[in-house]
Amino acid sequence: MIYRLWYFIRETVVSLWRNLSLTLAAILTVGISLSLVGTSVLVREGADRATAQFQEGVEFIVFMNADHTPDQDAAIRQVLDTSPAISEYAYIDKLAAYEEFQVLFADKPELIESVTPDVMPPSYRIVPSDPDAANVAELARQFSTQPGVREVATATDAIRQIEDFSTRVSQVLLVAAVVLVVVSAMLILNTVFTAIGARREEIEVMKLVGATNWFVRIPFMLEGMIHGLIGAALAIPSLFIVENQVLSFFQESDVVPLFRGFAVPDGFVWDTSLWLLLLGGTVGMVGSAVAVTRYLDV
Amino acid sequence: MIRLESVSKVFKGDVTALRDASVEIQRGEFVFLVGPSGSGKSTFVRLLNREEVADSGRIMVAGKDLGSLSSWRVPYLRRNIGCIFQDFKLLSKKTVYENVAFGLEVIGRPRPVIRKQVPAILELVGLSRKADRTPDELSGGEQQRVSIARAFVNRPLILLADEPTGNLDPATSVGIMRLLDRINRSGTTVVMATHDRGVVDTMRRRVIELDRGVVVRDESRGVYD
Repeated sequence: MIYRLWYFIRETVVSLWRNLSLTLAAILTVGISLSLVGTSVLVREGADRATAQFQEGVEFIVFMNADHTPDQDAAIRQVLDTSPAISEYAYIDKLAAYEEFQVLFADKPELIESVTPDVMPPSYRIVPSDPDAANVAELARQFSTQPGVREVATATDAIRQIEDFSTRVSQVLLVAAVVLVVVSAMLILNTVFTAIGARREEIEVMKLVGATNWFVRIPFMLEGMIHGLIGAALAIPSLFIVENQVLSFFQESDVVPLFRGFAVPDGFVWDTSLWLLLLGGTVGMVGSAVAVTRYLDV
Repeated sequence: MIRLESVSKVFKGDVTALRDASVEIQRGEFVFLVGPSGSGKSTFVRLLNREEVADSGRIMVAGKDLGSLSSWRVPYLRRNIGCIFQDFKLLSKKTVYENVAFGLEVIGRPRPVIRKQVPAILELVGLSRKADRTPDELSGGEQQRVSIARAFVNRPLILLADEPTGNLDPATSVGIMRLLDRINRSGTTVVMATHDRGVVDTMRRRVIELDRGVVVRDESRGVYD
């Protein structure tokens, strides 16, 4: 077994080296396409987190004081239940607010430790009948004067812009990424094809003396997998650049009063990186498997 | 060891390579396949190691029915069959030693076994002193000896030879035939397709003659025609 392992490693390295320029092209293409895939995922995630509280038509949020009285709460509910200007609303109690806080600040444990469910402000997320900005602003003003209300946050233009922007960016990136992933699979297929061509005589002899198809195949599949893995490894630093540079835009935007200052946590970036490695390795291996199988079945 | 029962093989464009051929070859026999170009000699040889599959009839090799042999088992069949060719099929970037070792390496033989068997087989074919040369530094006869060493290093039951002396001068061919004879005497069945009248007439072994895919003659201790 150990001899076979040594054989596979040696053949793979020799083949990668012999094919250097194509190998580099394949690796770079994989790297670029996977960094686009990753960026798209991160932008999507960043936008989702930045606007988490304002989804599904929620236009404004009424935050109650943590120590509001039941009477104050009842008064708000009375308005919400009877006003024709309110389409629907959801009540987020202290515990739910705390849980959301934990998710959004997952990579800042010191911040999570500094609060308890008790100090979290409960809130109403409100979908108005008429989402017109002036109407929302008027409703928000009315609620902000109610007793027991700490603050009213509206889905400002900034939030809508983030949503639009991130949706468009991540969609464009995703389309480009899918195209590039296909391109890189084809480039890997081609690189492996060239590698196979360079070793046509060897393969002929191998089959003649009774090497199994897997024995012939494995060095090439390893080669493709290495293209994919190195490409993915190149894409990972770019994810952290995106996290630090682009996503800080969401971090600095002053649109979500109580939950500001969050970003995509490092853990999510690492998870994405792992998925990229998996994707890169798989694309490389499948690409070369296709190339080898086509050749071997002749 | 080898049995063909009414075997036919037709290639695209209605080229009949073999028609209703029935032949039985015993273990340890030495058989010449003769006939003009295009008579089906090469197809005969290629059917035996399953590079080609028969259209009809049955082929038994080393106890296996090749028609029902699943493709993943073909490599294991081939480990029992050594092959040599007119053009040697040596790897030009590898040395003599590496060429022979390659045949063992790719069927997963451990290195200590390779280190023991390769020098022994090079000794047998008389190339011990040229182990570190590359094929293009060798004469045609020496190259064929390397290819025989590679085919025989795994001690196969059967040795298939397709025009092994086709590129060699008569004197060199004699040396190659002596080597094949020696291998045959060690118990290996040898099937050799050839054009080489001199070789066939000197050896006086079983001769099977093909003409347009039909077996027209099969005699023991035969001559070329």
